Amino acid sequence: MNENSPALAVENLRKNFGTLEVLKGISLAARERDVVSILGSSGSGKSTFLRCINLLETPTSGEVHFKGERIEMRERANGERVPCDRKQVDRIRSRLAMVFQQFNLWTHMTVLQNVMEAPVHVLKIAKNEARERALEMLDKVDMSERRDYYPSHLSGGQQQRAAIARALAMEPEVMLFDEPTSALDPELVGEVLKVMRGLAEEGRTMLVVTHEMGFAREVSDRVVFLHQGRKEEDGAPAEVFESPKSERFRQFLAGNLK
Amino acid sequence: MLVVWDYLPLILKGMLLTVEVALLSLLIAVALGILGALAKLSRSRVARAVAGVYSTLIRGIPDLVLMTVIFFGGQVLVNRIGELFGWEYIDVNPFTAGVLTIGFIFGAYMTETFRGGILAVPRGEIEAGFAFGMTPLQVFVRITFPAMMRHALPGFGNNWLVLAKTTALVSVIGLHDMVYNAAVAGGSTRQPFTFYLVVAALFLLITAVSDAGLRRLNKIFSAGVRRA
Repeated sequence: MNENSPALAVENLRKNFGTLEVLKGISLAARERDVVSILGSSGSGKSTFLRCINLLETPTSGEVHFKGERIEMRERANGERVPCDRKQVDRIRSRLAMVFQQFNLWTHMTVLQNVMEAPVHVLKIAKNEARERALEMLDKVDMSERRDYYPSHLSGGQQQRAAIARALAMEPEVMLFDEPTSALDPELVGEVLKVMRGLAEEGRTMLVVTHEMGFAREVSDRVVFLHQGRKEEDGAPAEVFESPKSERFRQFLAGNLK
Repeated sequence: MLVVWDYLPLILKGMLLTVEVALLSLLIAVALGILGALAKLSRSRVARAVAGVYSTLIRGIPDLVLMTVIFFGGQVLVNRIGELFGWEYIDVNPFTAGVLTIGFIFGAYMTETFRGGILAVPRGEIEAGFAFGMTPLQVFVRITFPAMMRHALPGFGNNWLVLAKTTALVSVIGLHDMVYNAAVAGGSTRQPFTFYLVVAALFLLITAVSDAGLRRLNKIFSAGVRRA
């Protein structure tokens, strides 16, 4: 746990699905309090990249370091790569909260139960303490009034805000957002972005896969553009948006900024 | 009709045994069913193969045949093994044998019921569990199981009702269940029809009580489901 090591460092990450090479060697380091937006058209590998960080997908090669700690991998006899230590993975996952495109709230639990679940069962926090923390987080995303609702009775925007509260309740060191607004009706995107903007202002470390150009440009400290499994652009939003080096990114911007 | 009252205690005693056999078999069937479903959905080829053979074989053979094969064959097998180790002759208890056999048979049906239930749980909910650092066991107990039960309950209820009636087969291995006792009563009073009617009514009673229980379970596991 080196003080100077970045919150998250990915080195030369590759991922194949069968013969399809989705990620062709991507490196990225995020310092604490960094907000990194990851852009790219569909099929660019941006979601896969995010999912490799918390090992929802197992990288084919490359390394992931969390706070200077390397996630150790080994190769099975059949060539499949697996983590050496499941406990290490579980521990790191509990400090890297994820927000999904499809919210993925647990539908048989109320909003409050969703937010309390992992703190109680993974972090082993006492129930009343977890409840207090959950209520605080729900208040932060303006969902206190709906705490006893089941996800199926909420709008997409409300579900996503609840899912953000669920992630916050873990007091994570890094938050991963996988296209958090892509499944929302246009009029509901704003409420979720507002919450995310607030989190960025608090100084949280965030990796955000997104199509929201406004968010990438105004909120993030850094913008990364992926194309066909490679990093084509990486820099501060002002420089990347004003003078893109990559022709592909220029085309991408032309298609996205209407 | 008065003769029914004379034999009623005997038949009710049989009913108690029937219910005991049924409930204990259900426990085994559920345990085997969950294991079987997890094995069938697992990434291990060996586990999938074992579970596949189990569910195909058991579901493909008539219950009566299985019951006799497992009970009588099991008796022989246990003592063959016993001979090797120099044990004394072991008499397999028909109650245990009956429960194990029925549990084993219905475990195969439960395997398919639970497999269907698990497949109906959105992948993302399971993934979210892992993403928050839950262990595979925690994900199953806290997320997959409660979420799948709603989908598994209709098939589960079906299996339970068939299982309860299948307990009648234990009379062939010498257990004095409700059907066996009714046959005895019917034989000695020469009124078999009367006593089988009583048994039919009692089975209906079991079904009615089960139905109420299943409705309760359905309510519990449907929390959060939006009714159309």
